[in-house]
Amino acid sequence: MKARFIVLWLAVGLPLAWGVMKTLQNALKLFQ
Amino acid sequence: MPASFLDRESTVAPPGYNRFLVPPAALAVHLSIGQAYAFSTFNLPLTKLIGITHSAPADWKLTDVTWTFSIAIAILGLSAAVFGRWVERVGPRRSMFASALCFSGGFLVAAVGIHLHQLWLLYLGYGVLGGCGLGIGYISPVSTLIKWFPDRPGMATGMAIMGFGGGALIAAPLSVMLMKHFETAVSNGVVETFVTMGVIYFMYMMIGVYSVRVPAADWKPAGWVAPVKPPPLVTQGQVAVDVAWRTPQFWLLWGVLCMNVTAGIGVLGQASPMIQEIFTGRVTAITAASFVGLISLFNMGGRIIWASVSDYIGRRNTYMVFFGLGILLYASVPTLGHMGSIPLFVAAFAIILSMYGGGFATIPAYLRDIFGTLHVGAIHGRLLTAWAVAGVLGPMLMSYIREYQINNGVPKAQAYSVTMYIMCGLLFIGFLCNLAMRAVSERHYYRAAAPAA
Repeated sequence: MKARFIVLWLAVGLPLAWGVMKTLQNALKLFQ
Repeated sequence: MPASFLDRESTVAPPGYNRFLVPPAALAVHLSIGQAYAFSTFNLPLTKLIGITHSAPADWKLTDVTWTFSIAIAILGLSAAVFGRWVERVGPRRSMFASALCFSGGFLVAAVGIHLHQLWLLYLGYGVLGGCGLGIGYISPVSTLIKWFPDRPGMATGMAIMGFGGGALIAAPLSVMLMKHFETAVSNGVVETFVTMGVIYFMYMMIGVYSVRVPAADWKPAGWVAPVKPPPLVTQGQVAVDVAWRTPQFWLLWGVLCMNVTAGIGVLGQASPMIQEIFTGRVTAITAASFVGLISLFNMGGRIIWASVSDYIGRRNTYMVFFGLGILLYASVPTLGHMGSIPLFVAAFAIILSMYGGGFATIPAYLRDIFGTLHVGAIHGRLLTAWAVAGVLGPMLMSYIREYQINNGVPKAQAYSVTMYIMCGLLFIGFLCNLAMRAVSERHYYRAAAPAA
């Protein structure tokens, strides 16, 4: 159950974190 | 007959099942269908399918292409309303599977349409078929999550609906990367990108299909007891969908959602030209795109934060904050523009967009408070018609009023002031709808035994 928990949350968390990171990288240009 | 894998009976969780395994299932679906918010990344490439580097005379016009997104959002609202009862009846796994088939199938049909350069196939594929996938997928995990988290329904549904906002943050860079990867001298890679995304999203949504579970009928979180005296507005009964939509409460909530979304979506759709025109010469198209990305981030974050907050301060109070603070912020935008303060302007819109997202994410829990859990998914589906209306009303108000102002000699930088005050008026209507909300009368309660979870 614990492994399943980790795998599932990584499956949704990693793509979301990637998307957030890409957006933040672009957003920084606004204040440069 | 044994229950098939997709049947509701096959998804009932065994005793001791960790309920925090369910939100990722909902997120897998919402992160996928949230791609719709990033459809604009395809707008320009779709106008250069023949010319490749430029728009040829035979290429589709931008106005033709942008209809695809509008159709998809309109069908989202309609399909959520039409299929809501079916989603409640068959359970989350079968409805998530249907959503995956429609959404991914929509990409594939659209890819054929793009390949053959048939606009109607693009509309039919991404707009109609994909739109059905959006509507069914959007509501499919909602009632399941509310049943798993009776102690924190706002946080639970906020988590899923946050995925819909987050989906765009993933899809936008992914689409650009794929188009670049498939680009050749004779193709701008859109067809291949649509096929690839259709396949990727189908597989990703299967994570949700395989991992979603519903709680047993008598299940409750360990140590949790339902409050003896529930907070005001929280019903102790259940209201069926066919009764719920005839109550004033349903239409007040419809007004609340419609006004909140109209104001937010109008700004979201015009964010890029708006900041460029208000701060002429100081904000370029590239930095404007950064602004859009930043407010999208707040749109996503607001969904989980505000919905979670609503578990503590109550649903009506949360919307009071959205409308009250929203009016103040919209009214301050013209002044911030005159002051020339970009950071304050961005901060105001970041908060506004967080409340736009928060409005979407808090509404399922509000519905659960008012009508109970019996048909909350189906009622939510019908309420989403407010989104379809707002999706047309908001952008139309913003663009027509701006154009009218400019045609009457108002400088571009000031053309948004009147629009902002009109948005304040819309939010005030929403405020009144929310203020008028009362607990549903007991005569509307469902009398027969409630079906198993």
